[in-house]
Amino acid sequence: MNSRINKLKEKMQTSKRYATIEQALIITKTYKENEDKPKIIKRALALKNSLEQIQIGIEDEELIVGNRTKGVRYGIIFPESGISWVDKEYETLPNRPQDKFNINEQDIKIFREEIVPYWKDKTLEDIIKNRNGKENDAIVKVVKINQKDHAQGHICPNVKSWLNEGIENIKQRTFNNLKDCQDVEQKNFYESVILTMEGAQSFIMRYHDLAVQKAAEAENPSIKQDLLKVATICKNLSKDAPTTFHEALQSVWFLFVILHMESNASSFSPGRMDQYLYPFYKNDIEKGILTPDEALELIECIWIKFNEIVYLRNSHSAKFFAGFPIGFNIAIGGIDEFGNDASNELSTLFLQAQNHLGLPQPNLSVRLHKNTPSDILVDSIKVVAKGSGMPQFFNDESIINSMIDLGISKKDARDYAIVGCVELTAQGNALGWSDAAMFNLNKALELTLNNGVCLLTGEQIGIDVGNITSFKTYEELEEAFKKQIDHFIDRMISACEVVEKAHMEVLPSPFLSSVIDDCIKKGKDVTAGGAVYNLSGIQMIQVANLVDSLVAIKKLVYDEGKIDKQDLLDALRQNFEGHIVLKNILLNKAPKYGNDIDWVDEIGVKWARYFRDAMDNYTNFRGGKYHTGMYTVSAHVPMGENVGASPDGRNAQEPLADGGMSPVYGRDVEGPTAVLKSVSKLDNYLTTNGGLLNMKFLPEFFSTETGINKFASFLRTFVDLEIPHIQFNVLNREDLLEAKKNPEQYQNLTVRVAGYTAYFVELDDKLQNEIIARTAYENI
Amino acid sequence: MKTSDLGLIFDFQRFSTHDGDGIRTVIFFKGCPLKCSWCQNPEGISPKQNLIFRKNKCIGCETCLNTCSNSSIIKENNNIKVVLDKTELSESLKLVGICPTNALVMDSMYYTLDEAMEKVLKDKPFFKYNGGVTLSGGEIFFQINFVIDLLKRLKEEGINTAIETSLFTSSDNLNKILPLVDTIFADFKIFDDVLHQQYTKVSNRLIKSNLELILSSEHKHKLIVRTPMIPDITTTAENIENISSYIFNLYNDVKYEILNYNPLAIAKYNLVEDLKFCFEKDNPSLYTKEEMQTFYNISEKVGIKNLIKSI
Repeated sequence: MNSRINKLKEKMQTSKRYATIEQALIITKTYKENEDKPKIIKRALALKNSLEQIQIGIEDEELIVGNRTKGVRYGIIFPESGISWVDKEYETLPNRPQDKFNINEQDIKIFREEIVPYWKDKTLEDIIKNRNGKENDAIVKVVKINQKDHAQGHICPNVKSWLNEGIENIKQRTFNNLKDCQDVEQKNFYESVILTMEGAQSFIMRYHDLAVQKAAEAENPSIKQDLLKVATICKNLSKDAPTTFHEALQSVWFLFVILHMESNASSFSPGRMDQYLYPFYKNDIEKGILTPDEALELIECIWIKFNEIVYLRNSHSAKFFAGFPIGFNIAIGGIDEFGNDASNELSTLFLQAQNHLGLPQPNLSVRLHKNTPSDILVDSIKVVAKGSGMPQFFNDESIINSMIDLGISKKDARDYAIVGCVELTAQGNALGWSDAAMFNLNKALELTLNNGVCLLTGEQIGIDVGNITSFKTYEELEEAFKKQIDHFIDRMISACEVVEKAHMEVLPSPFLSSVIDDCIKKGKDVTAGGAVYNLSGIQMIQVANLVDSLVAIKKLVYDEGKIDKQDLLDALRQNFEGHIVLKNILLNKAPKYGNDIDWVDEIGVKWARYFRDAMDNYTNFRGGKYHTGMYTVSAHVPMGENVGASPDGRNAQEPLADGGMSPVYGRDVEGPTAVLKSVSKLDNYLTTNGGLLNMKFLPEFFSTETGINKFASFLRTFVDLEIPHIQFNVLNREDLLEAKKNPEQYQNLTVRVAGYTAYFVELDDKLQNEIIARTAYENI
Repeated sequence: MKTSDLGLIFDFQRFSTHDGDGIRTVIFFKGCPLKCSWCQNPEGISPKQNLIFRKNKCIGCETCLNTCSNSSIIKENNNIKVVLDKTELSESLKLVGICPTNALVMDSMYYTLDEAMEKVLKDKPFFKYNGGVTLSGGEIFFQINFVIDLLKRLKEEGINTAIETSLFTSSDNLNKILPLVDTIFADFKIFDDVLHQQYTKVSNRLIKSNLELILSSEHKHKLIVRTPMIPDITTTAENIENISSYIFNLYNDVKYEILNYNPLAIAKYNLVEDLKFCFEKDNPSLYTKEEMQTFYNISEKVGIKNLIKSI
C-alpha cells in the first residue's frame, strides 16, 4: 500500500462522524417552494438543488473525488423517509450503544423549528404509521415489516449502461421519449429524470471548479497535478461517457454518490465491477497509458471512498443492522453469459486491494463455480485468512438455476449480483425489495404451543389453536403450527402492500429509475414497477432453532415419552426456572441441526418449504412474486429477544442462531463438513432471496500452504454441494477479548456480523460477546 | 455377531486436517500395546469399553444416584463420584441414557462394518479433492480383522486410505495391511531400546524389524516415519540423529516427519483413571520455529531428503 493510500485511509478512519441536517434543509426549502408540483417533480428538484448547493470538498492526494457531504462518514437526516424517530432520538445519537454519531447542538434547534413541523404526517414513516402502525405493532414479534422509515435501496443499477452512455446521452434519450409522450404521469416522470440529470451535471462540474481552484492554490506540484487531472476528468464526465479506466472509476463513484443523495437508503450495489470495468482497463493497458500498479492505486482510492458513506439508522434498526453497513456489494468472478469463467485481471486486483486495505467496504463477494481458476480461489482464501471477514463466497451452481426457476432469464441469471449483505439480484433491471419482512418462525411455534399467547408478556397475539397438551400426536401439532403460520403470512402480506404503496407515493426515485431497465422505456418510476423484475423477499427466521425445537418435541415428547407435555409447557412458561434437568434433557438428549443427521435436517427443509410454497399464493404491489431468503444479518439478537423459552433448550430472549442457514452456535459438534452437508439439504429455491452460512475459523488454519489448499478443497466441495453462500470469520478468542479491553488498539479489527463486515470495536457489548461465543473449530 | 465383526472405536473425527492429505475422516480404534508416558489419546489405551465421567458437565441433579442399583455412583462431600471399576456394562449404558447433561458417557462404541462405513461415507463429497480416511488409535493392529475388512470396503469405494500405527505388530499382520493402504504414518519414538522400554513399556525391536520390512518392500514410498518431540524424552540430538540415520540407511528416499510437542494432551487425562501425564506438574509449551529448525537441521545433516516440516 503506497503512502497516498495510507494517508487517505487514515484520514477516512480518523475523521469524526456527525449527524447532519444540511440536505434536510435544502429538501425542505424545495418542497415549500414547489407545493403545487407533482410529488416526483418535487423529489427531482430536491435532488437537483441538493446537487447544486450541498457543500463539497476535495482532500489532498485524492484521485477519486466526491461525497454527499463535505465531511466523511456523516449520518444524513433525510426528511422524506422519516424524521419522527430522529426527533425522539436526536440527543441520544452520540451515546447510544450502537452506531454513534456526534451532533451539533444548534442543529437540533433548527431541526425542531424548521424541519419537523413541515414534515409532520408527510414522511414515509408517518404515512405508514398512520395507515397501518397499529397492525405493524401487533404482529411485530412474529413479523418485522421493514422499509418503513427509509427509502428502499438494495438495488443494483445498470452501471454498464451508465458508463457506456454518459449523462448527456441518458438525458437526450429521456428527452426523446418525453417529446412524443401524452400521458401526464409519464411526462412527469421523464421531466423529473431530466431534472436529475441536469443536477448530476452541475454536481460533477462543481468538482471540476473546485479542483481547478484548489490546483491554483496548491504549492506542491504533484498535488497540483493530481487536482488538474481530477478537474479534466470531471469536466469530461459532466457530459460524456468515460473513456479511460480512471474516468470510469470516477464515473462509477459519482453514480453511487448521487444515488445516495436521492435516496438515503442502504445498499446500492456496484455489482459485477470486474466485468463492466474490464474493457476500460484492457484498453488502457493495451494503449500503454496504465500499469497494473496504477490501476491498483485507483482501485484502492475508490475502495476508501466506499467507506466514506455510512448510514444513519434508528436505534432499533441499528441493533438489527449493526455497524452502519451501507452495502456496496461487489461481486467478482463467476461465469459469463455463455457459461464460461468470467474472472480477469481486475478480479485479482480487487482481491489485492481488499487484502491491502482490510476495510469493511466494499462488501466483496466472490462468485464460485465448478471451473473457478485455482489462483482466484487461493487468492480469495488468502484474503479470508487476513481476518477482515471478506470475501464472502456465492455459488453459481446453486444460484443461477434457482433464479431461472423464479422467472429470471438465463442471461440475466448468469449475470446475477449481490445487494446488501447476501441478497441476490439481476443486475440493472430489478427491484428485488429483498428485505420486505422477517418472519420469526420460532415465535409462531411458541404461539402454537401456548394458545396463541406470548410467553413473555401473556398477551394474546396469535390465534388460539390449542397448546401442546391438547395435541395428541406430533402431526396434530404440525397442523396447528401450519394454521398459525398461515395466519401471520396473511397479515404480513397486507402490511407489505401498505409499505410498497407508500414508497410509490412518497419516494419516487427518478435518478435511480434512469439506471434501472426498463423504467425510461416504460416511462414508469422504479417504485411503481418500472423495473423488468419486481420481487419481494421474506426472510425465514430461524430454521436452526425451529428444527432443534421440533426435533426435541418429536423425539422426547411424542416418540419416547421422556418428557411430559405439561412439564414441558410449565418449563417454557417459567423460562426453565426450577426445570434445569428438563432443560438439559432438551439440550442433550435430542439431536441438533447441523450435524448431518438426515431426519433432523429434513424437518428444517419441510418447514422452510411449507413457508416458501405459501408465498406462491401472493403477488406483490408491483405485480411481482414473493420469495424467501434465509439470513438475519445481526437480527438474530433482537429477534431472539422477542421469543420466550423454546423447546430447543434456549432460555427466553437469548439470541437465535446467527447467519440464516447456520446451526445454533455450539451445537454443531460434528465439525464443518457436517455443517455443509446439513445445509446442503435445504433446496436452492428456498434461498433465491439470499442464504447465509457463517463459519468461524482460527487463523492458524491458514498459516501454511497445506492449510490453504485444504481450505480450497473445502470450498470446492461447497460448490459441489450447491450451497448458495458461505462466509468465514477468522480470528481467535484472545484477539477478541483483548479488543474488548483495548478498543483503541483494535480500530482495524473487522468482523463479519452475519453478512457484512463491521469494525469489532464499534459493535455493542452484547454483539461482541455473541461473536466471542460462536463455535470455534478448535481442532484446526 | 462375533466381537471380531465389530470395531471398538472411540472417535470419528471429521474434517481432520493433520492426518494425511486433503480433508479426512480419522477413525480412532481402542486399545494399544504401548503405554507412552506422554500419550495424546490416553482414553485409547485400554482395549475395553469404559464409562467415563466428565465432571465439569455434572450439574449435581443426582438422577444417576437415584437410578443406579449398585454402588457405582456415590456421593462424597456433596459431589457425585463414579466408581468406575464397579460399573457393569449394562449398568453403564443405563447411566449414559439417563444423565441429562451427558456427563456420563461411554468412552467408545462398537460399530459394525456397515455402521462404520455409513459414518465415513458422509464426507465422501469432500474426499474427492485428495482427501480420504485415516485409521488411527490406540493401535489399529489391535483390531486387525475389522481393520482389514474396513480397508477393503474403503478401497471398493475408491477412497484414499491412511493408517497411523506404532508398527508394534507381527510381520504377518503388516503384510496383510500394506496393499490396502495409500499412506502409512509410523511412529518411531525412541531409538535406544532401554529408553524405549522405559517410556513406552515395550521394546522397539519389533518396530525396527517392521520398518525394515516396509522399507525393503514395494510399499516403501507409502511410509512416513514420525517422531513426536517430547521434551527431554524424544527430543535429544542423539535420538533424532540415530532415528534419521537408521531409516536413511534403510531407504535413502525415506520420508520423515518431526512433530512438534502437543501440550494440549494434558486435558484428556481427567477422563482416565490410573494414568498420569508425564508433564502433569510442569507442562512445557510448543517448540518455537527456531527450535524446530534445529531439529530439522540434525535430520537433514545425516542425509534425510524428504523431511516433512510443519512450519
